[in-house]
Amino acid sequence: MIQLKEIDKFIESRFQRIFILKGINLTINEGEFVTLMGPSGAGKSTLLNILGLLDEDYAGEYWFGDNNITKMKDRERSSLHKSEFGYIFQAYHLIDELTVYENIETPLLYRKVSSNERKSIIANLLDRFNMVAKKDLFPAQLSGGQQQLVGIARAIAGKPRILLADEPTGNLHSGQAKEIMEVFQELHQEGTTIIQATHARENADYGTRLIQMLDGKIDQDEVITHV
Amino acid sequence: MWKNYLKVSFRNLQKRKLYTGINLLGLTIAIVSFLAICLYINHEWSYDRMYSDYNRIYRLNQEFRSEGESQLVSSTPSSLIPTLIDEVPEVENGTLIFDLSIFSSVMIDSGEGNQEEKSFAYADENFFEVFDFDLISGNPNQVLSEPNQLVLTKSTAERYFGNAISSVGKALKVDNQDYIISGVMEDFPSNSHIDFDFIASFKTHRHGTKPEWSPSNYYNYVKLKEGADPQGFEGKLGQIVDKYLGKDLAEYGYETAFFIQPVTQIHLGDQTLGSIKPGSDIRYIYIFGVVALLLIAIGIINYVNLATAEATERNKEVGLRKAMGAGRGQLFGQFVSESMLLTFASTVLSLMVLYLISPKFASLSGVPLNLDLVVSPIGIALLIAFIVLIGILAGLYPSLILSGMEPIKALANKTKVGGGAWVRKSLVVFQFFVSIGLLISTFVVKSQLDYMKEVNLGYDKEHLVSLNYHYNMREGIETIKNEILRSGAATSISRAADMPIHIKAGYKIFPGGDNQREFMITGYSVDNDIIQTIDLDLIAGNNFSDSDIKRSDLEERNEHFTAILNESAVKEMGWTVEEAIGKTINLGFNENTEVKGVVRDFYFNSLHHQVGPLVIFNDPDQANVLLIKLPEGDPSKHLSTLEGIWEELVPERPFNPVFVDQAYNQMYSSEQKSGWIFGLFSGIAIFIACMGLFGLVSYVALRRTREISIRKVLGATQGNVVSVLAADFLKLLSFAAVLAIGFGIWFSKSWLQDFANQTEPSIWPYIIAIGIVFSLAIFTIAYRSWKVFSLNPAKTLKSD
Repeated sequence: MIQLKEIDKFIESRFQRIFILKGINLTINEGEFVTLMGPSGAGKSTLLNILGLLDEDYAGEYWFGDNNITKMKDRERSSLHKSEFGYIFQAYHLIDELTVYENIETPLLYRKVSSNERKSIIANLLDRFNMVAKKDLFPAQLSGGQQQLVGIARAIAGKPRILLADEPTGNLHSGQAKEIMEVFQELHQEGTTIIQATHARENADYGTRLIQMLDGKIDQDEVITHV
Repeated sequence: MWKNYLKVSFRNLQKRKLYTGINLLGLTIAIVSFLAICLYINHEWSYDRMYSDYNRIYRLNQEFRSEGESQLVSSTPSSLIPTLIDEVPEVENGTLIFDLSIFSSVMIDSGEGNQEEKSFAYADENFFEVFDFDLISGNPNQVLSEPNQLVLTKSTAERYFGNAISSVGKALKVDNQDYIISGVMEDFPSNSHIDFDFIASFKTHRHGTKPEWSPSNYYNYVKLKEGADPQGFEGKLGQIVDKYLGKDLAEYGYETAFFIQPVTQIHLGDQTLGSIKPGSDIRYIYIFGVVALLLIAIGIINYVNLATAEATERNKEVGLRKAMGAGRGQLFGQFVSESMLLTFASTVLSLMVLYLISPKFASLSGVPLNLDLVVSPIGIALLIAFIVLIGILAGLYPSLILSGMEPIKALANKTKVGGGAWVRKSLVVFQFFVSIGLLISTFVVKSQLDYMKEVNLGYDKEHLVSLNYHYNMREGIETIKNEILRSGAATSISRAADMPIHIKAGYKIFPGGDNQREFMITGYSVDNDIIQTIDLDLIAGNNFSDSDIKRSDLEERNEHFTAILNESAVKEMGWTVEEAIGKTINLGFNENTEVKGVVRDFYFNSLHHQVGPLVIFNDPDQANVLLIKLPEGDPSKHLSTLEGIWEELVPERPFNPVFVDQAYNQMYSSEQKSGWIFGLFSGIAIFIACMGLFGLVSYVALRRTREISIRKVLGATQGNVVSVLAADFLKLLSFAAVLAIGFGIWFSKSWLQDFANQTEPSIWPYIIAIGIVFSLAIFTIAYRSWKVFSLNPAKTLKSD
């Protein structure tokens, strides 16, 4: 589904190139639940941003199915971005001025989903995450775990095939983190491809594949087997 | 989608109260000024368009030429209309108005004593056909068809009879002659150049049944047939005049041409001498239009500057929305809808403010604000277009900046909105250029007004009172003068044709006597006491004495008569002041006039004009005013003495004293008005611009909080911090000031051009204007940076 070939990402400084990613070759198949791990600065977030089409400033080739993303036009890339990807952030990044309901609604608006359809999608999501009673609250009125649930609901509202999560539990305590990971597992079982970056080894156990990164390179790539 | 945009915009505006407040206030003030000016311009523009077929109605004017100078006059002979209707096929109809008030006021008696009225005219029976004003009561074809008919305006009827309808058929005495009220009309609209309280049938007037080719005292209007060629008509008008008047004109040596003026151009077009209502200068309309646009521009700039500065705060939101799939167009839509929402709110607020200030505006500008226009379908459509346009103009640039951010950088808060800095800077320069420029203009206007108030006019207008004098009072005038002098309420009294502020009568010096030149001269008909009453400076020869003969007592054209000239007249003759005494001149009505004395030039006309030649002669029968010099001290005491004597000796005439110095100031009311308006608008511009500066400094200070805190830790004083923040802005302001000085020089040159007598150019308007704006700006910056400075560095630095 996704294939990266010789991806380099670097910053030109005055005296040398500082590589953030160097020579990344990676293939991810549909239905995988991939965990990126590694110390700070290893390049996890950068790789995730490139995968999620948020960063277009790199060298190498990015194939999505049969399409070479690096050669795509802006318009095509943007529509691919809309239809295939959902994002979850460490700091939740909900829009403070919008209610829970409206936050979930926003990506649907950008996808021009009709009003009735929006209502039913959001109703289902609220129901699924037990947040029906909280739909008119603003982010500031929710706990961190609840905010991240809204973040997930928002990310999957547009029914993306790939979910990208950057340290989704980084700001949560362990109980809430466990809850979030269980949701991920469920989504994975429903067929969504998930790629997450994390520091926590226990989070990787929910996935199917673990990629260890170090200094901008892939250090280890192993399959996680569930007993 | 739009619902969502609006919802989000509304919450955003609600959350950032300072930002919203500044923008709302700035835009509201700008829009109020803009709409008020638009309504004002619309009113001036709409003059005389309420008659059906207004585009076929013309006023007949004539142009007098003499020695390269030309004078447009709006009055013509009374024979013109009947002749034109008879002889020129293009003419469909025509009417004549005779404005009695330019000659004298009338006394109206409804049975409760005389009241003086100043807005009385005669009109012929076609008046209501050509100008189809609405009659509340009466048939338009009949109300002016018989002698002694009188049409009142509604408010006049209510003034005299309490009720408009019931006044029809009642009688009024006008100068002791009986009139029957034949109809009542709606008050003349404020945008009609015709405006009277009384219209009497012209047949009542002694010239009404017998049209004449002389004098030229009537306003004549024609309505041409549909499709008639106005230029062709003008040619025929010339032929008619030639045919009937050519011989007389040639005999008197007048060079005149008759021409037509569309009725819609009377108010703003070429100004003629003696219009019913003073017209407006179209240049002022243009200036106001430009000012309106400038004010709106300043309001929009505030928004643009604040919104782009604020973009730094919002880049996280933008990045997030992009990550969720927002396209550039969608983000753009959201930010534009925010600016439109703000514009909408400001416009609604503006309408409310406009409604509240409209009575005040009407009394200051003399023009009523027609708010019905705003709520008419066209007005509403225009307003909506206005909101959309302003919303887009204001939102365009910030939206482009915001929607163009890269999502990753925006999310990481790494975007610096530095790219558009020069745009913001030039906008600030523009705002302050306008503010300082308007303020300089205000001070230039003000210094000219002060100059006109304080300039030595050459006569003494202080403690000088003018009372209306009428020919009928000539029998008892000596008694009146003596009684007043005896009472001690006056030191000197003289009859005169006009107040000395504006002497109107034009005469001609003909070759003859000791002078062989011919030229136009202003004539001042007075009695023997004028020199001491208005304190003219007699620099050669003698004052008039009681032995000098009155003009009305002259029996032959070569009988000995006396006159006093001013310096300019003497110069025009080619004499020195001393030579002039005893010389003989030919005044036309008298060929043997001895120059008895010479007075120093005094300003007997508006300061727009140079002092020209003037001849003063003894002709009290032409007098319209009684000039009374009060003794020093409290004028009200003397006035009440005067009133007592007046009521005893002239009971049939009301006592209406006018102070000459007030009348003098009144003469410059349009200049005062423009000075006032410049002042108001420059105040508004400065206020809006400073508010914008406040907002901008706030954001800069916020962004530099860390830097300021570090400086404070290192021992900076508040003054240091202010100067760090102020330096950037002051550079911009200085640049704006330089541009504004250029504008000011141009403005003072072109505005003062209109005045033959100008104040000395001075640098004070520039210094004061720049000083005011700079101190306000520095105050704004200092206040804002003080707030940042007073933050605790321990806190601000830790959060970083």
